[in-house]
Amino acid sequence: MIPLLMVFLAQNFEQRGFIENSTFIYPQTAPNDPAQVINDTLFRWEVSYKITPWFQINGAFDAETDTHQEVERTFRLDFTDRSIERPAFSARRYSATLHKGKFTAELGRQFIRWGKTDILNPLDPFAPKDYSLIVVNPDFLGVIAARGVIDTGNNSVELVWQPVFTPARTPLLDQRWTVIPEAAEGVAIQDLGARDPGRSQFGARWNHIASGYEYSFIYFDGFNYLPLFNAQFNPANNTLGVQRYYPELRLYGASAAVPLRWFTVKGEGAYFSSTTPDTDEFALYVIQIERQWKEWSFVGGYAGEARTHVGNPLEFQPAEGLARSFLGRAAWTIDPNRSLTIETAVRSGGSFTRFEYSQAYGQHWRATAGYAWIRGEMTDFIGQFHRNSYASLALRYSF
Amino acid sequence: MSSTFICKRPGGLRIRRRRQACPTFVLLLTAVVAHAQDARQIVQEVQKRARSDSQRYEGTLEVIGAGSRIAIKRWVFERLGSSGESKALLRFTAPPEVKGVALLIVNHPDRASDQWMWRPAIGREQRISLQDRSTRFFGTDFSFEDLEERDVNQFDYKLLPDDAGEWKIEAQPRKSSQYTYTYLWVKKDNYTITKAEMYNKKGLVRLIDYRDFSQIHGIWTARTTEVLDVKRKSRTILKFDKLDYDVPLKPDEFTVEALQRES
Repeated sequence: MIPLLMVFLAQNFEQRGFIENSTFIYPQTAPNDPAQVINDTLFRWEVSYKITPWFQINGAFDAETDTHQEVERTFRLDFTDRSIERPAFSARRYSATLHKGKFTAELGRQFIRWGKTDILNPLDPFAPKDYSLIVVNPDFLGVIAARGVIDTGNNSVELVWQPVFTPARTPLLDQRWTVIPEAAEGVAIQDLGARDPGRSQFGARWNHIASGYEYSFIYFDGFNYLPLFNAQFNPANNTLGVQRYYPELRLYGASAAVPLRWFTVKGEGAYFSSTTPDTDEFALYVIQIERQWKEWSFVGGYAGEARTHVGNPLEFQPAEGLARSFLGRAAWTIDPNRSLTIETAVRSGGSFTRFEYSQAYGQHWRATAGYAWIRGEMTDFIGQFHRNSYASLALRYSF
Repeated sequence: MSSTFICKRPGGLRIRRRRQACPTFVLLLTAVVAHAQDARQIVQEVQKRARSDSQRYEGTLEVIGAGSRIAIKRWVFERLGSSGESKALLRFTAPPEVKGVALLIVNHPDRASDQWMWRPAIGREQRISLQDRSTRFFGTDFSFEDLEERDVNQFDYKLLPDDAGEWKIEAQPRKSSQYTYTYLWVKKDNYTITKAEMYNKKGLVRLIDYRDFSQIHGIWTARTTEVLDVKRKSRTILKFDKLDYDVPLKPDEFTVEALQRES
């Protein structure tokens, strides 16, 4: 009986994961952060278990620690990822998937990605990111939501209801990826927490696969997961109190992918409007072309922006920050084990270029070494991080 | 992923008008046309005998460069539909770092296939298209062109003198290809392709050897395919395990949504 049960479990149980140690070396100091070497260790385990052909449960668990106090030191299992620091133990995903014919539903904490382009995704309102480790290379956070899809093959309609808000995790105020203006030097900055939205969010997407191309339209009514800031200066103790809040957001967008003879064109664009006072209203779009040539892949494009209303300048908006940029990526697969990648974002006030070499050893190990070079002016979103160029070395064991 | 030649069904094809040959040429051409017909009929018979409504196997791919093994990959492959109008799904199971990566291929009779890739690390599907079909398949010695379904009507054939008791056929692609011509060896008793040599203008590029044949549901199937990249002097061995034909598969398992759901 027990061997039979083990066989049954093995056939329906899938797992994968890794443990990765990453070291980041910053050649330059930052005014608010003297640390120049940071080490981060992450264990990630993803599992799924198909109970019946139509019902599956999914889970993902993270355990993380670092040398830079960006990860909590408290012993608790986090289920929402709403903390200022990254949790030491996190249920990154917990959901149930139901599938019957053309209908699929997923309930619980999950990842929802709607963007089609590879460099910047204006159409990802349900995909908040964690910017706390490296602003220019963030990881995604899951959202607690109910998602239903009707998929007929060429057409799919997707509805999402997100009752619990998950904000993007911004860099800590006393760390180098929060750049303090020169005028505020010497002023103590106090984090006054966040004012979270009080209602749920909703989104809908229709995707159509036509003969040789595909496109989608989306609508979103909710909140921007990227914050604006209220700042209050207290001259008595020379302290600046900062509180995050999340403006209402209505987003109307479309995307398309068209493979052509010589290259593939992908694009997506969205208009961001808001009823919250002092909030930017703008259109953000990305157009990219990509081409595979032997063992090389090339992606190049432009991210543009048209602003219709200018609001609170105290904001953390990496998506807008990367707008008006030329973006490019080239990757060379040297052999099944080795690859080389170069990616860049160039705008008038700043630039970001990263080189990365990666090599696998055997079936489980991979080492990745890279260098990210950031240049620019303090007034530019990328340029403000010009003291944060870094070298990185990651060693990963996958299982 | 096995290389197959496809004979498209009538009605699924646009019929090309051919110029009528001038009567004075007819007699001269008859002998050549008859020879060409023979070669085409052989390839059509190869395709006909390999036809199935669905297929499933577990593949193991071993890359051997400069005499030592440098990589091994495993996947599960499922195909629904007969060649030319099929949908195929390839899910990597090893090595661990690519576990969960999946490729959905929707083949069309009249145009290039649609392809999407799912990468768990980025959590979404990506539409991919290979403008350059000579791109190596995940760093192996197979190119994507070597592994794609081939339409019988996209080649011109010439029957060459028999070689080692097998038919030797020259196939010249009508559409753009990295190869200028390919030699195929076909066994006379069971119409299976045992060897293929691919040439470009500079000479021999790849050599593919099909072996370990066994009959599965009446279809003679090579369980091992080995490709030699002549220039790089590296080899890739592809083995098919648990191969089965006409397995019950559902159409809703071959959609972009299914890529996410099942990965």
